Amino acid sequence: MTKENLFERMVQAVVEGQKEETENLAKEAVKRRMNLLEVIEKGFVPGLQKVGELWEKGEYFLPELITSAECMKAATAVLQPELKKARIDAPSKGKVVIGTVEGDIHDIGKNLVASMLQANGFDVYDLGADVKLEKFIDKAEETKVHFICLSALLTTAMLGQRKFIEMLKAKNLSGTFKVLVGGAPVNQKWAADIGADGYAENALAAVKLASRLMAKWRYQEAKDEK
Amino acid sequence: MTYTIKILSHGQRIRARGTEVLADKILQAGIPLSLYCNKRGLCGKCFVEIVKGRRPLLGEKERFWLGQKNLGKNYRLACQYEINGDLEINVPALFISPEVPILPAIARSAVAPDPAVKKYYLELRRPDISSPHSLFEILLENLGYKHLKVPLDVLGELGRKLEVGKFKATVVVYREKEIIAVEPGNTTDQNFGLAVDIGTTTLVVDLVDLNTGRTLATRAALNSQVKRGADVISRISYASADPNNAAELRRLVLETLNEKIREILSRNRVSSASVYDIVVSGNTTMNHLLLGIPVETLAVAPYHAVFSRLSPLSALQAGFAIYPRGKVYLAPNIRSFVGGDIASGLLASRLSSKRGNFLFIDLGTNGEIVLKAGSKLVATSTAAGPAFEGMNISCGMPALAGAIYKAEDNGAIKTFTLGNKPGRGVCGTGLIDLIAIFLGRGWISPRGAIQGEKKIIRVNEDIALTQEDVRQIQLACAAIKTGIRMMLKENHLSEDDLDGIYIAGAFGNYLNIRNSMKIGLLPRIDERKLVFIGNSSLAGAKLLLISAEKREKIESLIRKIRYVSLAADPEFQDYFIKALEFKTWP
Repeated sequence: MTKENLFERMVQAVVEGQKEETENLAKEAVKRRMNLLEVIEKGFVPGLQKVGELWEKGEYFLPELITSAECMKAATAVLQPELKKARIDAPSKGKVVIGTVEGDIHDIGKNLVASMLQANGFDVYDLGADVKLEKFIDKAEETKVHFICLSALLTTAMLGQRKFIEMLKAKNLSGTFKVLVGGAPVNQKWAADIGADGYAENALAAVKLASRLMAKWRYQEAKDEK
Repeated sequence: MTYTIKILSHGQRIRARGTEVLADKILQAGIPLSLYCNKRGLCGKCFVEIVKGRRPLLGEKERFWLGQKNLGKNYRLACQYEINGDLEINVPALFISPEVPILPAIARSAVAPDPAVKKYYLELRRPDISSPHSLFEILLENLGYKHLKVPLDVLGELGRKLEVGKFKATVVVYREKEIIAVEPGNTTDQNFGLAVDIGTTTLVVDLVDLNTGRTLATRAALNSQVKRGADVISRISYASADPNNAAELRRLVLETLNEKIREILSRNRVSSASVYDIVVSGNTTMNHLLLGIPVETLAVAPYHAVFSRLSPLSALQAGFAIYPRGKVYLAPNIRSFVGGDIASGLLASRLSSKRGNFLFIDLGTNGEIVLKAGSKLVATSTAAGPAFEGMNISCGMPALAGAIYKAEDNGAIKTFTLGNKPGRGVCGTGLIDLIAIFLGRGWISPRGAIQGEKKIIRVNEDIALTQEDVRQIQLACAAIKTGIRMMLKENHLSEDDLDGIYIAGAFGNYLNIRNSMKIGLLPRIDERKLVFIGNSSLAGAKLLLISAEKREKIESLIRKIRYVSLAADPEFQDYFIKALEFKTWP
């Protein structure tokens, strides 16, 4: 099997949500002493991208999204220790603290966003549901994240999103973290009204949004250094 | 800066300030624009034609709906339109809430009348100089009571009332404890009560003859709170934002109810002063809003209510336009998201006195499920979202005239509309039929993907189901299915152990059982075990009105019910995701 063949099969395994196959392919790559960063870049990430395309076309829905995220998790579990052993740092796409805001215990949507971010190479700190607003800030400062993602399913919990942004302002932390909001009742207008840095309608849109903001951020940093 | 808005379709002219939202101004002008999604731009049901004035760039969803609804490019969603100039607009009839909703079927109840309010006719002897007993003492003695409570104003009127009737009088006694009125002459043949169902969407009032237990007339109306949000959570947010909002919601529901009560009484020649008893059945949020009790805690974890059961209130206190000392009894709430309407429904279905395992399901925005497992009663609620009410669905609408409520596939797809009006959209039961048909035809995969490139299925020229619509229905079905599955699992039962399923709610008899099983909304069981009980909330309210002892019964019933929180269960997500597939049980 050529390298290209192997990549193709990886893509297919992720798209079809075959967890065991994905895991085996990752092991195969390790066994063959392949460049693991290349394996991620050319085997697994394109699989995930394809899943995203199918989602956007309406072909895929939540179950497919979850199984492919699980495949990525399985692959990462195989590759990560090997990368560590070889002292190779897989470049982080960005760091995220995520949770459902206080007063709201619904977390399926949030879990999906967390897994998709993780599958796409973000470092994700998931605080769970019904999370006190202060806890988001504490964790974000402790882990020096780029993004704080606030989920709300109940319209009443949306107020928590607004309160959080006011809290950040009061603590003079507004520019330090980018605040992304989501949840069934949330929309772009709400995000703009409360001064959030972004809104995403679903898990894949969240990945795109975070990636875009991250690129902008890094560009800005590079420019500032000059 | 103020601007002028001419509503050409209604011949009205209103003033608006900059940055005000057009939908609000249209509502304030008294035009009941459909705002099912609480002005979030999600339901696509408030398009107006901008004849003259600024037309902002179309949003992605707006553009889609315009195409789908065959509207010209001058239309914009009123709820997303910020005013910043003079306007001339048309509000199409299509986007105005219809006035009177179609009534769901009502379960019959046969119970011997034994109302809380009883009338006793007395022919009294006037006091004379040889034994000048007090009037109240004479009254009590003739009634055969040692003691009864009496309000001071009734006492104050006692002498006059007795004089008017020449000492022939009818005494109105509440639950053998309190005299609430004295009427001159014999009025025992006139004892009326009202059963009131306060739904999040629909209000229903029944006028009941308490002597016979018969319903004399029924009136229904849209709950006018709808314009402040379609679902309970939106209403809670609205009420919590400002005390004035909460007061407004209370006023809105009372205004509509009292208007309907006035109508029904005058039509049946009953004086409002001779109505002494009201039973209200509603969900926990509706009950709180009706009484003006704060609702904030209902929507914030741990989601607790202020009250579950209450002693009867006076009509005056509760705000009902009947005899002020009349009583208002609220069917007790089980928990925050399983309310008095479900308690009433359980009472009406007589579920607890049956042997075996039964499910009681109320299908709506909030799907309430009660499982009777042997002698245990367990309840839960599951957020199905508004898809079954036709909201969040591009071609969706509530079960009103012009809604496709049923579809059949006999080689060709045939649709049926409510009121035989031309089809304007599809309501919940119609959506379930269509999905089952499309699945059968292979136009939708069990995972919900519409086959082919276009990702849209036309039902007729104006009505089509989109991929996003199918996804919304998947989510709604999965919520109900997950609720049922987890309840069964928690009680170590499978669907085969069920002796029956009761379906309550506005779906009524329109729900196609086979199609519901085909898409997995309901467990697959013998069709004969499925019973539609229609508006069981109203039926229960009637029982509580006709037979006072049922009030003790319902209060002891709700204390026996254990509540299970689905979202708090770690297995919920797994169950939910699995339930998204359209397929028959298991």
